[in-house]
Amino acid sequence: MMTRYGMLIDTTKCVGCYSCRTACQRQNNLLPDEDFIRYEHAEVGTYPNVRVETVPLQCMHCEDAPCASVCPTGAAHIGADGIVAVDQGRCIGCLYCMSACPYQVRVRNSETGAVDKCRFCAVQTENGTTTCTCVDACPTHARLFGDLDDPNSEVARAIAEKGAKPIAGDLTRAKVYYVR
Amino acid sequence: MTYEPIWGTIIAWYLFLAGLGGGAFITSAWIRLRNPACTHLIRAGRIIAPAVVIVGLCLLMADAAAGFAHPLRFVLLLTNFGSVMTWGVVFLAVFVVVALIALVLDLLHRDVPQWLDILGAVMGLCVAAYTGCLLGVCQGFPLWNTALLPILFLVSAVSTGMAAVLLVGAVAFPGEFNTVVPLKKFHFWLPVVELVLVAALLFITAANPSEAGLASVMALLGGNWAVAFWLLFVIVGLVLPTVLECWMLWFAKPELEDSRTGQTISAVSDAGILIGGFVLRLIIVSAALPVTIVQPWML
Repeated sequence: MMTRYGMLIDTTKCVGCYSCRTACQRQNNLLPDEDFIRYEHAEVGTYPNVRVETVPLQCMHCEDAPCASVCPTGAAHIGADGIVAVDQGRCIGCLYCMSACPYQVRVRNSETGAVDKCRFCAVQTENGTTTCTCVDACPTHARLFGDLDDPNSEVARAIAEKGAKPIAGDLTRAKVYYVR
Repeated sequence: MTYEPIWGTIIAWYLFLAGLGGGAFITSAWIRLRNPACTHLIRAGRIIAPAVVIVGLCLLMADAAAGFAHPLRFVLLLTNFGSVMTWGVVFLAVFVVVALIALVLDLLHRDVPQWLDILGAVMGLCVAAYTGCLLGVCQGFPLWNTALLPILFLVSAVSTGMAAVLLVGAVAFPGEFNTVVPLKKFHFWLPVVELVLVAALLFITAANPSEAGLASVMALLGGNWAVAFWLLFVIVGLVLPTVLECWMLWFAKPELEDSRTGQTISAVSDAGILIGGFVLRLIIVSAALPVTIVQPWML
């Protein structure tokens, strides 16, 4: 049985500290100008009960990944356990995947010219590897990672309990869920 | 977050040159069919077609930085036939080979087989239409994600290809230029059709459920790209050529139409078409906003 990895991001817990991005850059050895997580800010509520909502966005690991269907070289592909990946050795840097991705979460590596994005590196924790991913680094535990198909996993239970949904409805079959 | 367009001026140049090349080959095949005596114009089309497409492809490869550093990776372009870009590579490869063979045969004063001209013209149509499909399948951009875009790019490609050949004719081969009246009359209608297609594209994009549709349209009509849209694309690229050619083809006396002045006026009109063709690619590539980020068009 394949696992179907996914993530939950609870923006009601997010304080906008950007620790997830810093941890991601360190965990994945990214260049200083290379971000796999970008942030949108929205004003929510009605006066006087207003706040700024921070929404961290990253690769949604879509089951119908548009990046993989448009990639002419097969560099962008859906790999094991449904994780969308980029084979850096096949990428020509045409940026077609960046245009096809509706979430604008793919980035070009300014040294190699190849495109990269969130690798769901949190999966390494499953085999006991010590990591400092966005999930570990979040000080408010706004992030959960795990198997969406296992009804007993922490992430699946939290999605069901909180009624979490993908960020843009059924734009794609995204596997990152949001509580907003 | 502010949105930076993913593709820039280089890709706009490529889309323009690929369409222009396809259109130029179609033009030379057309002239051969209707005015076979105009050998210089036919040859001009056969030179322009592969030349501009090859320049465009060089720009494209230079822009694909990771492939430029590892050229062997370009072979992998033929691995995913679900990708419009892979189909584009096939069309471009066949087109460039056919166009180069036709050019070499022409320069050697050998007969270019009719079937080769037809194959090249069909591939030219495919190249021109694919440039629109390439953007059209990107679901996140309402301005691109419509079946109108490939048609618009195709009409613009044929128009710019014909304008390039006619411009060479007006400047260098006025005798032949004066005889290709059927071509000029067909070419006259292309900017008119383009105007209708652009209006339709804007109405349909503006009605997109995502705010990004209206925001993209307003960026063209009244935002950052308004000067390029109205002045360079609509006025210089579509209205001016339509007015000038209408005058030359239907109202001017034959003495004026066939005179040096008439040819100069036509040359201005054709140059306008070329400017408009490039600006169309530039503004469509640059003004498109994704559904997940919407910028207000006026601040």
